[in-house]
Amino acid sequence: MTTMVLPWTPTTVRMVPDRPADERELILAAQRGEEAAFGTLVLRHQRRAYTVARAIVLNHEDAEDAVQEGFLHAYRALERFRPDQAFGAWLHRIVANAALDITRRRKVRDADELPETVASHFRDPAETAELRRRLAAALAELPARQRAVITLHDVEGFRHAEIGQMLGIPEGTARSDLHYARSHLRQLLGALRSDV
Amino acid sequence: MTDETRGPALHRDDELTEHLRALTAPPADPAYWDGLHARILARVAQGREEGEWWAVSERTYRVGLMAAGLTLIVAGSLWMRARAIETRMAYESQIETPADVQPVFARRGLFDDDRPGAHPTPGPR
Repeated sequence: MTTMVLPWTPTTVRMVPDRPADERELILAAQRGEEAAFGTLVLRHQRRAYTVARAIVLNHEDAEDAVQEGFLHAYRALERFRPDQAFGAWLHRIVANAALDITRRRKVRDADELPETVASHFRDPAETAELRRRLAAALAELPARQRAVITLHDVEGFRHAEIGQMLGIPEGTARSDLHYARSHLRQLLGALRSDV
Repeated sequence: MTDETRGPALHRDDELTEHLRALTAPPADPAYWDGLHARILARVAQGREEGEWWAVSERTYRVGLMAAGLTLIVAGSLWMRARAIETRMAYESQIETPADVQPVFARRGLFDDDRPGAHPTPGPR
């Protein structure tokens, strides 16, 4: 039996473990202009940065753009970063801003076209594929912030306070966004289950 | 109860979460992440070059700004000096009135009532 690994199949992502003391040294070295140190920071944080960006934008290409832009902004702002801060939280905020910028620039005009773009990477069995295609369409209809909040909270496991900090919104707003997004998508999922 | 579960109907729907996870899953292929790492560093390097170009431009901009400031100060002082000269000349032209104009004012009053004989004085009773 051969196992085919699809590039977009959800799998457990190998995370680089957090090593705060070591990370502080890396940040200080990167601030001194050591490119290798910055490269290691990128290696360590790129996956998480991707998930943050992907929660906000609608497709993989935009997420990758946001990650690249985010790291560039972070590099330029690195000298202003205080090493006693949490680098990850600081970086996520920058990446989230880059992703929100991309979302603003690419306002969705054709609502029918987008779900195909979103779902194009998935090759699942017919029913699930149809369900996900329509769920992706519903996700695309949600305001970017609500989409980001539900993905960051339910999928990535960030807390309301972290999400609020990342997206520049009060914690209570993150909470109400999550409530709205959940009830909207759950309603739709219920309707889809009876259709499919 | 933590903050994460407080509030009305904030319960996670596992099936919905599973679909969301599938929709937003990061690529699983390790080669993708190697490639992304290289692309990020290339983008940063490109941005750094742009930054250096802007840094030179910024220095030029600062010099230009200082030159413009100096020009403005010099032009301002010249304008004020010219205005002071004009004011002084206007003042001098007023106080140095030509001598032949004065008799006209002496012979005629500025108003009709000032003419000689306009107010006849009563004669002796």
